[in-house]
Amino acid sequence: MRQWLDVFRRGIAVDNPLTILMIGLCATLAVSTKVEGALFMGLAVVFVLSMSSVIISSLRLFIPELVRIPVFIVVIASFVTIVDLTMKAFVPDVYTFLGVWIPLIVVNCMILGRAEAFAYHQPVRLAIADGLGMGSGFTIVIVALAAIRELFGSGEIVFFGTRLLALPGWYQPPGILVLFPGAFIVFGFMAALSKWYNARVSKRVRQTSAGCTIEEAR
Amino acid sequence: MPRRAPSTPLNMVATVLVTCVVAATSLAFTYEVTRDRIVQQELEAERAALEAVVPDAESFQDVSDMVAEAEVDTEDVPVESAHRALDADGATAGWAVRVAPRGYAGPVAMVVGLDRDGTVLGVSIVRMRETPGLGTKIAEQWFIEQFVGWESMDLDAWRDEFDAIAGATKSSVAVREGVSAACAVYLEALMDSGEGGGGS
Repeated sequence: MRQWLDVFRRGIAVDNPLTILMIGLCATLAVSTKVEGALFMGLAVVFVLSMSSVIISSLRLFIPELVRIPVFIVVIASFVTIVDLTMKAFVPDVYTFLGVWIPLIVVNCMILGRAEAFAYHQPVRLAIADGLGMGSGFTIVIVALAAIRELFGSGEIVFFGTRLLALPGWYQPPGILVLFPGAFIVFGFMAALSKWYNARVSKRVRQTSAGCTIEEAR
Repeated sequence: MPRRAPSTPLNMVATVLVTCVVAATSLAFTYEVTRDRIVQQELEAERAALEAVVPDAESFQDVSDMVAEAEVDTEDVPVESAHRALDADGATAGWAVRVAPRGYAGPVAMVVGLDRDGTVLGVSIVRMRETPGLGTKIAEQWFIEQFVGWESMDLDAWRDEFDAIAGATKSSVAVREGVSAACAVYLEALMDSGEGGGGS
């Protein structure tokens, strides 16, 4: 259980796919202009990532090494198509906003990367933790990025037609925030923040574990 | 540590084949489950767009063929469809023309509603890829409202009154061109059939 939680937490903080590993950035920068769309993009990624991790991990002994990539792609593409059809049927507005980025999850290097680096070598139990953790890490970052860009770039956050948060009328939103340069700038700050946080945490961990060793030695 | 299946030709072919068959089956199943709903959602979206621009209509009748035959010159704005709006008595209440002028990033699909005299009743943006927060402002009420009241007969006068959104000129102009194209369609293809075909 401890190992499970450790793998799960790793995806959110120490190995966050966006701010630390920096994979799957293309879609992130493109759809993080609206919180609503970003949230559904995150959920789609969580689903595809955990499901494909489970399948690939449980079949890992039956997949010969030379054909692993085609098998991964077929598995991933199937789950993406399931998400694609379901979103089209039940949340058409969000689907229109996300557009081509949902089918493009198939070639998102985050999913394939986790399949190759983790799920293909680890037991199902841990593959689920990795999928959920990496997916949540992705969702948290993309939603935070979208919240900053939507709030300061268009002056308000609208979620399914309800205004969640609005800035006072005198605020003139700078257009650059909703454009790509704005995405890079905000993302840069988020990556820095995440590095700083990780550095602090690992320092503390090192200190406490050093403390433990000393105590045990006594 | 259990050993992984070796990469013999037979193993490889069998694995890929089985994976593909299972994937195809599960996709066929998902497609079956969601198909009806997807069709229904598309119809609803289409119908909502038509109703938004011709509020008094009871039902709609597709007259796209009529427009295609008339070969209207819309200055490169594609006309996707046209509907005759019918009121409760089956008489023509107005028209809804769907056009897709070119915006800043691809076509801006929109429906323009016209009354029987060719005056614009409303405009509704159906689909667009404009820059979020900038070009997407063309869907906002205050911008759309300025087109209401445009008369097909006297288009040039109205076109001069047009206010574009600062920073989104191309997107704004796309909407103006779309409305103008719909007016042109009305003048050249729809106007004269307003009374005759009402009951069909």
